[in-house]
Amino acid sequence: MIGNDIVDLKHSASNWKRQRFLDKVFTKKEQFLVLSSENQHQMLWLLWSMKEAAYKVYVQQFGERFFNPKRLVCALISEAEGFVSINNVVYVTSSEITEDYVYTIANANCQKATNSSVIKTEIQLYHTQSSLLKQAFIESVSETTNIEPNVLNIKKTKQGVPQLFINSEISTLSFSLTHCGRFSGFVYC
Amino acid sequence: MTNDELIAKLKTIVQPYIQDEAAFETLSEDTDFINDLKINSANLVDVILDVEDEFDIRIENEDMEKMTSVKAAMAIVTEKLAAQ
Repeated sequence: MIGNDIVDLKHSASNWKRQRFLDKVFTKKEQFLVLSSENQHQMLWLLWSMKEAAYKVYVQQFGERFFNPKRLVCALISEAEGFVSINNVVYVTSSEITEDYVYTIANANCQKATNSSVIKTEIQLYHTQSSLLKQAFIESVSETTNIEPNVLNIKKTKQGVPQLFINSEISTLSFSLTHCGRFSGFVYC
Repeated sequence: MTNDELIAKLKTIVQPYIQDEAAFETLSEDTDFINDLKINSANLVDVILDVEDEFDIRIENEDMEKMTSVKAAMAIVTEKLAAQ
């Protein structure tokens, strides 16, 4: 299974410098990584996107929702590669860092090649961006699987996890969608 | 504080972060912060910190874990206020 997360570095959704923010979200080691980094803002959102991407895989695997990013513990082996662990489960992460965004994919057990794409939209309305992203994802799946796009549709589970259906049949494809600010992205395998 | 007053306060707190106006207009105990209001998860940290400031309480990470809906937030705030 696979998960992804994107953060628009110039959208800066949250002011992480406010009191207690770091302690709520990051372990002491992670806080040290952020505070000792030359680019604190980028490092912080890199670790955040690793946690979020891993969380999305975790929810797909175990169906349990929770809000506690600190429980997902990050380790970096390079700027772009790392691990996130939770309850003895470890996810491999790979990130793409640009001036504009940080984008992370977390992988549990996808052996196949993964398809991933980042899309920039000028319109930041949630619903517009969400439908553009779904459309791009369905077009891509249609191209790689030779299934007509009009029989593909996305429904969400009670937990809010999106699932792909081919007509009324659930697909085995694992995928994840993300957006933040000007950017959105999909990944599947 | 009555339940209605508590919901009204929570509604004011979440307003800057919501991405779904329709769900916000009809906000109730059953509203989910992420699935309904489409609050992005980094902003959910802001919501928690704002709740702490507004009610002058501290929410431990174990309590925060469950705070994904209005109902859960109300339960935690009520519990913390009662313990004061």
